[in-house]
Amino acid sequence: MGRELFLKRFLTFFIYVIILRCFYLQIIRFPYYYQLSIKNCIRTIETGIPRGIIYDRNGRILAKDAPSANLVFVPYDLKNAEKVADILSNICNLDKEYLIKKLTKKYINPFDRVILKRDLSAKEISLIEENLYNLPGVFVQEGIKRVYPFGKETAHLLGYLGEISQSQLEKLKDKGYEMGDYIGQDGIEKVYDEYLRGIPGGIQVEVDALGHQRRVWGKKEGIPGNDIFLTIDATIQEIAYEELGDRKGCVAVMDPRNGEILALVSNPSFDPGNIVFYLDEKRHPEKPFFNRVIKGQYPPGSIFKIITEIAALETGTIKEFDRIECTGVMEVSDRIFHCWKEEGHGWVDINLALPFSCNIFFGTIGMKVGVSKLIEYAKKFELGKPTGIDLPGEAPGYIPEPSEADPLNLSIGQGPITTTPIQLLSLISTVANGGNIWQPFILKKIISKKGEMLKELQPNLRKTVYIDQEALEILRKGLKNVVEFGTGVRAKVEGLEIAGKTGTAQRAATELELPTHGAFVCYAPFDTPKIAVIAFIDYGSSPQAAEIAGRILKRIFIPEKIEEENETETEIYDEQI
Amino acid sequence: MRQKLKYMMNRFKERDIIFISYILIFFGVIILFSASKGVITKEGFFIKQILWIFIGTIFVYIFKNGDYRSLEKWSYLFYFIILFLLTIVLFKGEGRASRWIGLGWFYFQPSEFAKLVVILTLSSFLSNKDIRRFSVLFLSLIIVGIPFLLVFKQPNLGTAIIFILIFLGISYIAGITRKQLISLFLFAIFISPLIWAIMKDYQRERILTFLNPMRDPLGKGYNLLQSKITIGSGGLIGKGFMKGTQTKLAFLPEYHTDFIFCVIAEEFGFIGVVIFVLLYFYFLNKILEIISISKTEFGKYVATGIFVMFAGHFLINLGMTLGIFPIVGIPLPFISYGGSSLIVSILSIIILSSIEKYSTLF
Repeated sequence: MGRELFLKRFLTFFIYVIILRCFYLQIIRFPYYYQLSIKNCIRTIETGIPRGIIYDRNGRILAKDAPSANLVFVPYDLKNAEKVADILSNICNLDKEYLIKKLTKKYINPFDRVILKRDLSAKEISLIEENLYNLPGVFVQEGIKRVYPFGKETAHLLGYLGEISQSQLEKLKDKGYEMGDYIGQDGIEKVYDEYLRGIPGGIQVEVDALGHQRRVWGKKEGIPGNDIFLTIDATIQEIAYEELGDRKGCVAVMDPRNGEILALVSNPSFDPGNIVFYLDEKRHPEKPFFNRVIKGQYPPGSIFKIITEIAALETGTIKEFDRIECTGVMEVSDRIFHCWKEEGHGWVDINLALPFSCNIFFGTIGMKVGVSKLIEYAKKFELGKPTGIDLPGEAPGYIPEPSEADPLNLSIGQGPITTTPIQLLSLISTVANGGNIWQPFILKKIISKKGEMLKELQPNLRKTVYIDQEALEILRKGLKNVVEFGTGVRAKVEGLEIAGKTGTAQRAATELELPTHGAFVCYAPFDTPKIAVIAFIDYGSSPQAAEIAGRILKRIFIPEKIEEENETETEIYDEQI
Repeated sequence: MRQKLKYMMNRFKERDIIFISYILIFFGVIILFSASKGVITKEGFFIKQILWIFIGTIFVYIFKNGDYRSLEKWSYLFYFIILFLLTIVLFKGEGRASRWIGLGWFYFQPSEFAKLVVILTLSSFLSNKDIRRFSVLFLSLIIVGIPFLLVFKQPNLGTAIIFILIFLGISYIAGITRKQLISLFLFAIFISPLIWAIMKDYQRERILTFLNPMRDPLGKGYNLLQSKITIGSGGLIGKGFMKGTQTKLAFLPEYHTDFIFCVIAEEFGFIGVVIFVLLYFYFLNKILEIISISKTEFGKYVATGIFVMFAGHFLINLGMTLGIFPIVGIPLPFISYGGSSLIVSILSIIILSSIEKYSTLF
C-alpha cells in the first residue's frame, strides 16, 4: 500500500523542517539570542486603557481621558529597596513605610510593573529624572488619567475609576478584564464600563542594567472605548449642586414626560480625581460615596398624603367638600395623635388639608380607607420597589404588610414604610403626567468612535395607573395651593405655577425631638409639566427643601432673572409630621 | 542490573509501543520537574502529573490484554456521551476559553477525549464501507463535523485543526479519491470566508499575529519572541539541566504546558532537541508500522487516526514554539502538563498495542 508510505514521507519532511529550524535558531542565531537572554532585557509595559468620553445631552463633556505620568517600578530590576524608598519618599511626599512595603512585597510576576503613584506633578517628574541613576527599576511612565470637568458636582452620577477587585476579576475575566485594570467602580462609569472601556495600549521595550528604557521594540496604540451621551443637562446639574450648597442631602430633576433624569446631586460628595483621599473612612465618616437619591431609604412623611388622598377620593371615603375639625390633637384608642400645628387647623376640607398638610384630617380619612387599601395604592404607584434607574446599588425601600402598619401613621407616611427620593420623584411625575410611571434613566445613547449607534435607551413606560379624573383635578389643585399659600410657599416663583408637596421624614412618630429630614417634591409648569424636582435635606426642614426646589425651577424657567435674593429666613415654617 | 538493562534494550529494539511511550513520559517528567522550579514555583502541577502517570499506568495493567475490536461497537455510545459533554462545556465552561468541566480537584477536558472518540467512531463507521460513495463520505463528514463545530465554538482552534487532520488521515487510508479530495478542498476554500466571519476576534488575531507577531507586542508577539530567545539561547549543548534562565524567570506564562519544548531546547541545546525529535520520530514510525500490519480495516483506521493525532500535535506544537506555525495552543503529548491529554495518550497507545498484538495472533 502506497498510502502509508506517503504518510511516512510527509512526517519525515516535517521532521527535517523542525530540525533545520532549530539549527537556525540554536546554532546560527545563537549569539544573538544568547545575548538577549543573558540581559533579560525585554519588558512589556502597559500604558493604560483609554476610555470613551461621557457627554451631557447638549454635548458638554462630563468625563474624558487626559495624559498623565505615573511613578512605576519593576520588582525584578529593583536593587536596594531601602535606598529607593528613601529617595522617593522625599521627592513624592509618600510615606516611607508604605513604599518599603510596596517595594519589597513578593509579586507573582516580577516583570510586571507596579504603580507607586499616579499623576505626578512636573516638579516630581524632573526630580525623579535627576535621581534616576540612584533608582534602578524605577521610572516615570506615561499613562492615562480620567478627568471630570465638573468634579464633585457629577461624582455620584458618574462614579469613579478604581483598580479591579479580586471578586470583580473573577466575574469579568471572560470579558477580557485583567488584574490591575482600572474599571468603573460606581455610577455611569460602572454601569456602562464595558462600553466605555477601550483596548489597552502598551510598549515592548529593551531595558538597560538599571531597568531603564533603552529602545522600543514594538508599540501598540490603545484604542479608546465608545462615547456615551447622557440625559443629564450639565447646566441644570450645576444649578442643582449650587442650590443644594453645603447642606447634606440630595436633589434630582426629571422630565415627567419620559423619565429622563436631567440632574442628580447628592451631598456630601467626593472628588473623583482624588479617590484615595476620600476612600479613607476615618477621615470621612460622613460617607461621601453614599448616593442619597437612589440609596437613601426614608419614611416618605407627608408626601405620602398624595397616596392617601387619591385612595380616599377614589374609594369615595370622602367628598371634595367634606369637612373635618382639627383641634391639634386627637385621641385614638389610648394613643394621643398630634397635628404639627399645636392649635389645630379648625374645620378643613381636602382642598385646605393638603396645602396645610393637616395630620388630623389625613389620619382620619386614612383610618376610614384602611391599611390594606393604603398599601394597595402605595404598591400601585410602585413605591417600595426599585425604579430601575441605570445606576448601581438602587435601594428598594419598604412597604409594610397590613399587619405591621398602623393606619394613622401610614396615612401620613410614617412608621415602618420607607421610600427612596427617586421613588418620590417618580410619584410626583406620575401625578404630573396623569398616570404614567416612567422608568427613570440616564443613558441616552452610546456611539462608537466610528459613529455607529451601539445602544440607545428609549423611554420605558413601567406602567400606566388609572387615576380618577376628578380626584386628579382635586389633588393637583391642592398641590398647587401647597406652593401658593401652604407649607411649600417658599418654593413660590413669580411668573411660574408650581405644584408640590412637602414631607418630613422621621424615625418614629413618638420621638418628636429627633432631628428630621426635610423633603419637597414638585413639578412645573402646572398646566404643561416639563420638569419634576425632588429636594431632600438631612436634618433640615421641608420649607428649606421647598426653597431649594423653587430656586432651581426659577433658574431653569426664568434664567435671565438671576438676582441675589436675601438669605434671611423670614417666618420659619416648621412643619412637624 | 545488567540483565535488566539488556531486557530494556531488547524491548526498545522490539519497538514495543508502550515501552517507547514510557521513555517519552519519563523524558517529560524530567522536563516538567525543571519547569516546576522557577521564580514562580509550580510544584503542584508536577506532583499532579506524577499522579496522572500513575493512574495511566493502572489503565495499562487493566487493559493490556484487552481486545481493541470490542471498541468497534462501543464507539457510538462513547460518541454520544462525548457530544453531550462537549455541549455541557459549551454552556457551562470554566475559565476564559470554556474547555473544562471542574470535578473537584481536577479539571476534565472533554475535547481531549473527543479526539480519540472521533477516531474510534469514524473508523468503526468506515470499516467495510466504501468511502468513494458520496453518502459514506457525507456521513463521515457529519461524524467529524459535529464535534468539530462544538470545539471550534469553545473556542479551541488547536483541537479543531486536529479533527480536520484526523478526518483527512483516516479517509486517505480508507481510499478517498483524488477527485473527492479536490472537491473537499474547493468546498473548504468556498466556506473559509464564512469561517473567518464566525471566528472569535482573538482567533483571527492569532492568525494575523502569526503573520506579523509585532501586531501584538505585549501578547503573542512577546510570547513568540520570548519563545525564540529561549530556544535560540540554548545553543549546541544547552545551559544544562535545571539551569535554564529564560524558563526559570517565567518570561513565558505557559512554559509548562504549550511551550514545554522551550525548556528542552534551552536546557539541552540543539543536541537534546535532535535526540528528542528523533525519539518522537521513532515512536511515530512505530505507529506507521502498526497501520501496515493491522489485519482489520477498523484497526488500520484507528491506528491511522491515532498516528495523525500524535503527529499533528507534535508538529503543530513544535511549529508554533519555533515560529513556523500559528500559536493555536495545543499540548505536546506525553511532555506537556495536563491530565486529560496524558490519559488520552496512554489510552491511545494501549489501543495501538492491542492492534499490534491481534495482528500477529492469527
